Amino acid sequence: MDKVARLRERAKELLEKQEVVGVLGYRASSRPGISQVAFITRPEEVDRLIFDSACSQNLANYLLKVKDKGKVAVVARGCDSRSIVVLLQEKQIEREKVYILGVGCEGVVVQGEKSVACRSCRYPNPVIYDEMVGEEVHFEPETVEDEFDRLTPDEWWEVLSAEVARCIRCYACRQVCPNCYCPVCFVDASMPALVGKTHNVSDNIVFHIMRALHMAGRCVECGACHRACPMGIDLMRFNRQVAKIVRERFGLVAGAKPDEMPALTIFKPDDPQEFIR
Amino acid sequence: MAESSKFEPKIVAFLCNWCSYAGADLAGISRMQYPPNVRVLRVPCSARVDPFFILQALQQGADGVLVSGCHPGDCHYLTGNYVARRRFAVLHDLLQFCGLEPGRVTFAWVSASEGERFAQLVREVTDNVRQLGPNRKLIKEQ
Repeated sequence: MDKVARLRERAKELLEKQEVVGVLGYRASSRPGISQVAFITRPEEVDRLIFDSACSQNLANYLLKVKDKGKVAVVARGCDSRSIVVLLQEKQIEREKVYILGVGCEGVVVQGEKSVACRSCRYPNPVIYDEMVGEEVHFEPETVEDEFDRLTPDEWWEVLSAEVARCIRCYACRQVCPNCYCPVCFVDASMPALVGKTHNVSDNIVFHIMRALHMAGRCVECGACHRACPMGIDLMRFNRQVAKIVRERFGLVAGAKPDEMPALTIFKPDDPQEFIR
Repeated sequence: MAESSKFEPKIVAFLCNWCSYAGADLAGISRMQYPPNVRVLRVPCSARVDPFFILQALQQGADGVLVSGCHPGDCHYLTGNYVARRRFAVLHDLLQFCGLEPGRVTFAWVSASEGERFAQLVREVTDNVRQLGPNRKLIKEQ
């Protein structure tokens, strides 16, 4: 039996036995190559559920929106499950109220090309799940190189500031991120206003630095923000860098282990401090 | 003319109330000489220094930023500087990644008894920033 048929069967069983109030998954949209998020609450609707390379949203984000309805089943790939782990670590959801249907993922395809975030994916399979739907997936992650190694800091600054200069501050990157759940985001705060709200280059770069910094130890590199950006800004540059900093400095990977806490919420007395005088 | 056109950096210093501010105070009451380029802001703890403060200082015209707190293990709030250290580490590496000159933002530990160390630190930071020249990257054009 293939993955989708199994997924529909299990969703139906869970709904019929009333073990869950709904199943969070994907359904086809009217446009080919693009899927929608589906919250299925009736057993007769489970045939709408799909799972393919067009399913690009991170469902952990939607989990936060339906968590008050009761126990919810959620379809989770590697990145989704890691986001769920971060939400569990940060006590945003309860483990007993989520039923995780794990799926292996070959990567999201956007306009005929594998998404940048998925090319270097090291977690195609969920790190936590209640049951696996279908087989685990294994592939060799590619190394995505940034050109900043070959440029001087000044040249790289020019490249990066030209890139973020295009930002229109729509905050789509924040909206799609499962870990951006603050009731008042720093960009909306006005007393005091922490960052300027116009699309001034200086404010844009501060926004992107601070977004990356708030994601430190929490970003699972699912690439949802990257795919959501209407201006095509390469947000994965910041995400990859932050993940690398956290990995190299503190030896932690966001959402990889449920019993660890996000890197910036904990400390060790002997953390590296060669940059401090 | 030559004297007035010489670049004098503006440096914002965030000093923790319990160690570094007291260290700066000791430098003052001991009448130690150090450059008048620093503008000191007293904060309760180095963990109070939100990375926003540092970036906003640079946006609004500071040429350099100095952040200083108690030595690890000496925090008045026991673990404030440990938490801050991780945050600063990520900020430091991220600013480096973006291409901001190293030396624009300096982190240091200064205790209440290290008046001479504070004076020396300010001398060095001022020299470094003077050599880097005015901050042109993060500054927000008004």
